[in-house]
Amino acid sequence: MISNFLTSTIWLDIEEWQISWTIGGTNWFPLIESIHVIAAAMVVGTILWVDLRLLGLGAIKYPIKTLSRELVPWTWGAFIIATVTGLGMFITRAASHVLNPAFQSKIVLLVLAGANMAYFHLKLYKNIERHEKETAIHLQLKIAGSLSLFLWAGVMLAGRWIGHII
Amino acid sequence: MPEFFTQIGTFISGSFFQSWALWALTNIPGFPPIIQTVHILGIAVIMGSGVLLNLRILGLAVPSQGITEMTNRVIPYLYVALISNLVSGSFFVFGRPTRYFNNPVFAWKMLFLFGAIMLTLYFVSMHRKKAGYWEQDNRKGLARCIALLSLGLWIMVSLSGRWIAYLEHLQYPIWSF
Repeated sequence: MISNFLTSTIWLDIEEWQISWTIGGTNWFPLIESIHVIAAAMVVGTILWVDLRLLGLGAIKYPIKTLSRELVPWTWGAFIIATVTGLGMFITRAASHVLNPAFQSKIVLLVLAGANMAYFHLKLYKNIERHEKETAIHLQLKIAGSLSLFLWAGVMLAGRWIGHII
Repeated sequence: MPEFFTQIGTFISGSFFQSWALWALTNIPGFPPIIQTVHILGIAVIMGSGVLLNLRILGLAVPSQGITEMTNRVIPYLYVALISNLVSGSFFVFGRPTRYFNNPVFAWKMLFLFGAIMLTLYFVSMHRKKAGYWEQDNRKGLARCIALLSLGLWIMVSLSGRWIAYLEHLQYPIWSF
């Protein structure tokens, strides 16, 4: 089923869209790519503080809730820009991207990073004030923080690798 | 292109720097994308330190963090990221020095980077001189000007960094869309 989806002609149809040709054949592509890099760096740069705080390595003066409340809007804003620009690049070579192992890995890593974030915000976040009062940082928070660091670094690596395969 | 700039390229070309960088780029499996990722992760740390501090000074982000405390906390990260990016970037520049030192976009990137670093050093040296230097009312305007300029420079550093490689492949004038 998944291989039918990946080899579907829909990806070739997407490449034929007028907008795909406009982006792929002009300076829009490098411009969109540059914005993608800056936005992705902002996503990781803001998440970094929450992760370091969860690990007890940085910004320990601030409650996790405060950091999260003030940084997550920037993460989401940058993430939306990265997604839109990412889609803009994707449609120019959709059929080869879906079969590109680096692209596939990036999507899997993004889903895992998202699941880790969701687990943190939906499950761990509820008891966060109680966890913070404990002298040592709760193990689950440390795991969520380090997983996040590794997964986002992996997203960046897979993303950068896409260009080396295509 | 200034003469001294292209001469740096000629100087590195054929030196042991070049052979060392080329050896790493060609012989270590996956080295080019890995070292490029290290470079982009360095940019991420700069976004989370220098750029976030600029946004804080402009009153746009992390309002609960004090400027003095935040400067003390994020500046070491900024310095480490800059050194890391100097190293990761050097592999590519040393590998093909004449390509980079004849590329005007690379020259612009270095100029923007120099400006951003100088502003940072000025900001930090005044901050070190006196605690709360940039939080005094009569200096807030200047602090915001520095933050806005520095923010623009970091964005231009990233943009021009990405366009170095494109300059050689562009089939259209750089400003045409």
